[in-house]
Amino acid sequence: MSCEPVVPRSREVGQDDAGIALRVQGVSVAYGNRLALDGVDLSVRRGERVALVGPSGAGKSTLLGLGSGTVVPTQGRLEVLGVDPWAVSPGALRRLRARIGSVHQQLHLVGPLPVVHNVNAGRLGTWGRLRALRSLVRPLQVDEARMALDRVGIGPYLHVRTDRLSGGEQQRVALARLLVQDPELVLADEPVASLDPARAEEVMSLLCGLLEQPAGHRRTLVVSLHDFDLAVRHCDRVVALRQGRVVLDVPVEEVDEGTRARIYDLAPDT
Amino acid sequence: MSVPTRWEVAAGTGGRAGMWRPPGGGRAWATVWVLAVAWSVGGWLIAEGSVINASGWSRFAEFFRAALTPQLSGEFLARTGAAALSTLSYAVLGTLLAVVVGLVVGVLVSETWWATGTGARTRRRARRAGWLLTRLGLALPRGVHEAVWALLLLSVLGRDPLVGVLAIAIPFGAITAKVYAEIIDESARGPYEALRAAGAGRAVALLYAVLPIAWPELVSYAFYRFECAVRSAVVLGMVGAGGLGFELVLSFSGSRHAEVWTLIYTIVVIGAVVERWGAGLRRADGVRRSGISAVAALGLLLAALVHLGPDLSRVVSSRTAELLAGLMAEMVPPGLPEGGWVRLLEEALVTLQMSLVAGTMAAVAAVAVAFVAARGGTTPAHRSAGMLARWLLLLTRSLPPPVWALLFLFLLLPGPLPGALALGVYNFGILGRLCAEVVENIDRRPHDHLVATGAPAVSAFGYAIVPQAGGRFLAYGLYRWEVAIRETVVVGIVGAGGLGRLLEDQRVAFDLDAMAGTVLALIALCALVDMISTAVRRTRR
Repeated sequence: MSCEPVVPRSREVGQDDAGIALRVQGVSVAYGNRLALDGVDLSVRRGERVALVGPSGAGKSTLLGLGSGTVVPTQGRLEVLGVDPWAVSPGALRRLRARIGSVHQQLHLVGPLPVVHNVNAGRLGTWGRLRALRSLVRPLQVDEARMALDRVGIGPYLHVRTDRLSGGEQQRVALARLLVQDPELVLADEPVASLDPARAEEVMSLLCGLLEQPAGHRRTLVVSLHDFDLAVRHCDRVVALRQGRVVLDVPVEEVDEGTRARIYDLAPDT
Repeated sequence: MSVPTRWEVAAGTGGRAGMWRPPGGGRAWATVWVLAVAWSVGGWLIAEGSVINASGWSRFAEFFRAALTPQLSGEFLARTGAAALSTLSYAVLGTLLAVVVGLVVGVLVSETWWATGTGARTRRRARRAGWLLTRLGLALPRGVHEAVWALLLLSVLGRDPLVGVLAIAIPFGAITAKVYAEIIDESARGPYEALRAAGAGRAVALLYAVLPIAWPELVSYAFYRFECAVRSAVVLGMVGAGGLGFELVLSFSGSRHAEVWTLIYTIVVIGAVVERWGAGLRRADGVRRSGISAVAALGLLLAALVHLGPDLSRVVSSRTAELLAGLMAEMVPPGLPEGGWVRLLEEALVTLQMSLVAGTMAAVAAVAVAFVAARGGTTPAHRSAGMLARWLLLLTRSLPPPVWALLFLFLLLPGPLPGALALGVYNFGILGRLCAEVVENIDRRPHDHLVATGAPAVSAFGYAIVPQAGGRFLAYGLYRWEVAIRETVVVGIVGAGGLGRLLEDQRVAFDLDAMAGTVLALIALCALVDMISTAVRRTRR
């Protein structure tokens, strides 16, 4: 099957700058000789929920890494929340990163710490150094941490060592950490890859619920998913990658069985 | 979803909820610790008045000037080479025995093996009693320093190479067993409990679920033991077993500083080579490199056997049994020193204070240096600083405590302070290296995640690195504290006070039953420290 875009649908790049959360223009990323991303164009509006799908190695994680300011583009233009992460001072990059939340399949929690510190770790981008270290001795903003834990359903675990919790409970701690961080843009890399379908649905619902803000506002979500159905159920738009290129970019309403087959190469080209 | 209460959570996880926890937990222990250190140091400074040896500075400077001009004559180098081979041979054979003993006994004294937290209440208590008994049993061989074992073995086996080997193997076997037990207990319990739940026996579950996870750490520790054994063999030389230590004493007492430095450099080089070897083995993922190491180890073993030619038949000969019975008759029942219980308790307190101050010095400095010394720096400045820090650690731990004590006696008047400093500097080198290894093995991903969400470097370090390293630092620090108690014996020999000094006086006077009493007091101190260490570590679980 050719890797040319099936339905190229890059949204109006350049218009309505204030309303764009993530803008990727002609970006390529090379690891040595291998091109992980090859001239990708993508822009995500604020409040939008975008699912990245595609086979393993298609470049989904690299694209998310661009968004979190951890992957450097080899060429092309990048703007995250109106800022080019690689053209600003280290201080400004930190401030930008504080506005971006990330969720991973590995939760990156610190096992020996009590849950409250792992939740408060979401605030480290906005807290000063002294405040952060002081909170390790005597936890600050405990009420907010408890409220976040209540919202994900594990309020009583506030002072329990994190590595004592089950995998599912730890996942909720990671979501509470995201909640107190209060990011404008959330980048989730395979957040449910190792979960059974019921649990995956539960976590995705929880994640999307947390993104809702008062007065009908929504945080922006870019999430890579293996499960196509989850993408359709929880997102507004599906972007498919293959071999480092965007091969599909459509609203979920336009997705049908044929699209899925084309993305994963399940059926011959029609 | 229904969520259990906090108490239910504590009771339901880890299977350790039934254990006693001190009120106030870690903070109470920390307060006691700070007060004890302040009381010890303050007491020495007030009681001793002047501690500075004003006349020693010029000799100290003279000694260090000789560092640039070590003795390199062919004759002395040949003597050094032969001495190095003897020292290495004691270390190799002693370590081999110790690791074999440690592996078997380590399993048998682990909490995992005894399953102290599961089962019905009476069974749990019985298991806990069994575990405590085995743990106390280990304190006996461990509480007696290699040098003391050597003196005891000497009177049974005579001047035999086996004395040096066994003097290392007995206490090191017990220490290795204790550390292996702790490594086994600190390894992830999930896989082990899963296999047990599926009906596997304890031995099989350990073999399949714990050993593969703990293996790199066990090998790493075995190599670390080998390094310690090299230094112990040097100390044994200082009390008469021959080798580098013996040469060191000869040169030191003759004020032949150039020769002393040749010997010091030899010890440092041997230490560096062994450490490189261990580091290489830990990094090796290929079978080939492990194979090369195994062949090299076998070669060393054969060389040691040929060089020392230990005669195992002497261990089981009737003459040995006779001498052992004679020694036992002299030592049992143990007696008290002149001055009775009061003197014994006073000296025990000095020993405890020395070990506490030394351990504190070592721990504070080691933790500070460990983060610099850990490999994996990303900037050239960080990498050079790391190299310097590693050399500093290597130098400080290569010289055994008695040598440091002799050096500090240039500057300070005899007493507990130079003894504590000597132990502190030496243990700083050891603890610093252990802590640096902990830092190298830390999971960096939580740290990187925090940096990716905008956390400043200091905050990410405080939240993601320190908590992960803290438990291990504490465990190693407490373990070194206990070792420091044993080592007060060898600094006591050079006049640093405490039970070590008492032991030396009794040995010179052939007061064997009082010597046995002093050794028992040392063992009791070790057991006390072991119990405190277990209680402190429990506050972290």
